[in-house]
Amino acid sequence: MSQAHTLPQGGFKQWWLKWRFHLNILLILIPLGFMPKYFADASLFRGDSGLGANVVQGLQVGRWTLDLAELRDEAPRADGPAGDFKAFNAALCNTCAEGVKAIYLRIGKPRSLRAAGSIFFGPPSRMGTNLPIPPRTRPDADIWVTIEGWDGKMYQASVPLAKASPATAAWLEKQGGNK
Amino acid sequence: MLDRTFYAEDRLMAQQPKKKSKSKLWFLVHSWLALPIWFFVLIVCFTGMLAVVSQEIVWLANPDVRASKPDDAGERLSFQQVYEAMQKAEPDTSVRFISQPDGSHFALQASVTRADGTSALLYVNPYTGAIQGQRPDFDFEAFTRALHGWWLVPFTNGYSWGWYLVSLLGLPMLASLVTGLVVYKKFWRGFFKPVRTGHGSRIFWGDVHRLAGVWSIWFIAVISITGTWFLIQAILGDNHVTISTEPIVPVIAREQVPQTADGSPAPRIDLDEAARIATQTIPGLDVTFISLPATAYSHMSMGGRGWYPLMYQTAEVNPYTRNVDSQFLLSDRSTLEFVTESMRPLHTGDFGGLAIKLIWFFFGLVLTLMVLSGLLIWTKRTAHATAAALKRAERPARAKPARETTLEAQP
Repeated sequence: MSQAHTLPQGGFKQWWLKWRFHLNILLILIPLGFMPKYFADASLFRGDSGLGANVVQGLQVGRWTLDLAELRDEAPRADGPAGDFKAFNAALCNTCAEGVKAIYLRIGKPRSLRAAGSIFFGPPSRMGTNLPIPPRTRPDADIWVTIEGWDGKMYQASVPLAKASPATAAWLEKQGGNK
Repeated sequence: MLDRTFYAEDRLMAQQPKKKSKSKLWFLVHSWLALPIWFFVLIVCFTGMLAVVSQEIVWLANPDVRASKPDDAGERLSFQQVYEAMQKAEPDTSVRFISQPDGSHFALQASVTRADGTSALLYVNPYTGAIQGQRPDFDFEAFTRALHGWWLVPFTNGYSWGWYLVSLLGLPMLASLVTGLVVYKKFWRGFFKPVRTGHGSRIFWGDVHRLAGVWSIWFIAVISITGTWFLIQAILGDNHVTISTEPIVPVIAREQVPQTADGSPAPRIDLDEAARIATQTIPGLDVTFISLPATAYSHMSMGGRGWYPLMYQTAEVNPYTRNVDSQFLLSDRSTLEFVTESMRPLHTGDFGGLAIKLIWFFFGLVLTLMVLSGLLIWTKRTAHATAAALKRAERPARAKPARETTLEAQP
């Protein structure tokens, strides 16, 4: 047990015994390594990096034109028992938010406004929503944008999910409807 | 491998032969708690110390953040007046949220989204409504807090593992406190013991470590317990266990949002009216922040500190029906929530203005020095011990030189 008996004469061993507890300085590499990601995320949330990934530009919904993008080019994120979610952003063209009461996103065509999907939060120039992705969704499904006008009418358009979020389609493909 | 050489300060221990071996063990535990991760602990303490006063540092560095009162200015503007002033200055900008930071010397902060889709936090003068500037891309406050709180490791699925890494330190810190007090005999007599100089640096740093330690007992207890709470919070969160009694506010019912004949947005009450309704309905509600509805079916949310300054009270006002649809007050909290919700402010020291923050900052500095002095003591002791061991290894035939102040621990 005693160091006196086991202490080796070798230079490296001695160095090791003296300096091993300073090795934790290397833990500083963790925040240093994540720093670019930290600043990239900050820029993403500020909107400085654009609307998101795989932007679907100029989607015509009724008389409005909308851009749709997934926040990140990645598979849905699990949120415990609530299921898997995919964050999408949307923006209406600068001067054309007039008459829009609410915008919704849903996988599959909504039959009524009451089931239009998840509502987009935020000002028209950058809105966001968290779309639930049931694991049994078909990878070739469409996602539907529904605009509810202040006039009470409903306007719709769709995009293939595989176009709006290739990573989600790939993830669904992998799930294979097994879950 | 746990054998270390002990020095004079432990003579007290030596005078109590019965307790000797136990004390030695505690001493070893104490010495080893932070040592293998000393640099990590040091940086976490240091960044925590900075994070406590990060808002004040920004205030000193950036005039935009200050609530300078112009000579001809009267009262502070109301939320609606500020909102209108901002809309006038930047008509294409959507205001999402306005808040008054704790302390009237801070400018108002407003979260906005611009027409190009970028968002920003604007600093607004509370007397004139003038937009003084916006938060720079490098946000010192957020950065120090992220570095201190989760080592910059991103949150991808639940809590970041960096959060676990940092909050786990609460346990060795608590153990350091307990073992430190066990080892330091009659520590309650140590509050006014002068630091000995002229006896070498190890004695000096030992005295500094003990003096700083006894004065910091309360602070180390607060920081380590609240730090451990952050660990528990993450474990609960990642296992989807909630102890919150906060009501989940449903969206405003479709029927309550009026239809308009001409397709224009339904009229909503203004911010001041919403705040007035809320404070009238809920006595004692202080409104220091207010958020505009995020959808056509959303409430105006507002709130502020309650009589118990560690917790906030909030209310949700329906902008169409003028009804307070939901509220979460101090009286709605369970006893458990009083404890758990107090943890964060107790950790950050942001519940009583500048004075409390400065106390937290000072003891944060002391704690950082405790880690440094602990390390210095350890390296000095280790250097001696290693030298002695080397000597013995070189001359194994000779008898061990007995140092009168040295004890050899053989666990």
